[in-house]
Amino acid sequence: MSLLTRGPVDEVVAGDLAKRARVRRSPLETIRRSFPAIVALGVLAGLWQLSSIFLSPIATPSLAAIGTSMREIVTDWDQLQNLVRTGLRILAGLGMAFVIGLVPGVLMGFSEVIRTYLRPILYFVQGIPALSWVVFAVLWFTDPEVRIAFIMVMVTFPNFALFIESAVRGVPQDLRELGHAFRASRWNQFRQIVLPAITPAILSSWSVNLGNGVRAVVVAELVGATVGVGNRLLLAQSLFNMADAMAWTLLLVLMLLVFQTVLNLIEGRLLSWRPVGERR
Amino acid sequence: MNTTGSALVQFDGVVKEFAKRGDTFRAVDGLSFEVRQGERIAIVGETGSGKSTALNLLLGLTKPTQGSVSVLGLDPFARFNELAGRIGIIFQTARLLDWRTSLDNAAFGLQMLGVGKRERHDVARDWLERLGLGDFLNAYPHELSGGMRQRVSIARTMAISPEVLVADEAFSALDEMTAASVRADLLDLLEEQQMTTIFVTHSVPESVALADRVLVFTRPGHVKATCDVNEQRAAGRTDAEIQDLIRDGLRDSGAGADVAGRRSARV
Repeated sequence: MSLLTRGPVDEVVAGDLAKRARVRRSPLETIRRSFPAIVALGVLAGLWQLSSIFLSPIATPSLAAIGTSMREIVTDWDQLQNLVRTGLRILAGLGMAFVIGLVPGVLMGFSEVIRTYLRPILYFVQGIPALSWVVFAVLWFTDPEVRIAFIMVMVTFPNFALFIESAVRGVPQDLRELGHAFRASRWNQFRQIVLPAITPAILSSWSVNLGNGVRAVVVAELVGATVGVGNRLLLAQSLFNMADAMAWTLLLVLMLLVFQTVLNLIEGRLLSWRPVGERR
Repeated sequence: MNTTGSALVQFDGVVKEFAKRGDTFRAVDGLSFEVRQGERIAIVGETGSGKSTALNLLLGLTKPTQGSVSVLGLDPFARFNELAGRIGIIFQTARLLDWRTSLDNAAFGLQMLGVGKRERHDVARDWLERLGLGDFLNAYPHELSGGMRQRVSIARTMAISPEVLVADEAFSALDEMTAASVRADLLDLLEEQQMTTIFVTHSVPESVALADRVLVFTRPGHVKATCDVNEQRAAGRTDAEIQDLIRDGLRDSGAGADVAGRRSARV
């Protein structure tokens, strides 16, 4: 082989790679992959139904009773608005927590000095239970919405910050040098290299924090709100209405799944450049 | 290759020291050489001979402890931003941005220079087509082979039309067949553009194939010998013989090299 052979000799291989990478998952394949989850949830529902036959309906109401409660909630706006309000609180709280976590996260990712000082504080805040934040919120604020937002932010922002810090630090040195070698400004290096590189981690942090957010908001609403799923759960508990409690819980989980699906769609759009195997 | 007299790159008695566990480590020691306009030189040398440090000094990523470095008449460290778009580099690996298509990757350098989208895409498309990637403008890096990725990185650098091009082991991460192909394409472009180029390489055959002049680096970071490839060819030597001459220079440049060998010698 000569040192100088003209013409791209490797296009055929690349063409095959490109073809393989563009293969999309069919609906049938999606169903096949979801099958184990459907079976597992079906078994769980079957066990619940079975126990409802033998145990008191106060402890384990039948699936039909839970279904009736769910139908009543979604068809009555007075009830449904509790779910909507909780959903909005989750999104607003997580949005604020993300913005608040982004700044220290990026700074810690770039600066070891800042990381050294901020990390212990974030670990400390992260270690405080949600219930403690509820107590602090009740003592510090009077407006219920402020209380809930405060609790949501305090429970989730350290997680955002630590996720982002780790992602910024994980940006390959090769790419940082690339920006430097092309004399990119600091802003361009961040905008064109760092930000796209950490986008997958940002989306993952949202995915993780959606679960945290749901747990935090319900705890906050238990004590601080007159409208919301947490408040409805408290009411169901005081009325010994397990069917309602289960219905609110299931609707909350369904709402979380909707949020996750929307997040997956956003991820699919933002990360469409990824090979199929690396997408969720 | 026609070269004019003016030196675009000049190293003059450059020393670069690094602190290492309380000690001072000298990576470059009295490095002097120049590269004239339109000239293609290759730097060869064993690991630790100061090639990478010289490259970083040339790019302005680090500043000399003593001596001076001049690129296009400017101190590349002190006047780093003034060399934007005037000095280009092709790295050992393509370093493409995974989230950008070939076209957007090739346009990256121009984007950093503030060139508008339409113009930078036109220029990038032209370079990609010249490098045989016209059908892969919208392909992402993971959809390309190693050779194609390196071609995109070459297009990215050529698109900014640098006055000085540095190729840092640009073919060493490729298999031999692909490397030969990419090397030939790059050489065609360099011939056409009459671009001043510095190749850093471990491969002696590659240095002879690509460069007009080969600088043999030795520890601790200075030019041990210089080989004018065109002159040697004019004297009737084959490329294989020229390679042997350079290898002799490299052999003499080991860690235990003679002190006399520190002075730049003509092979």
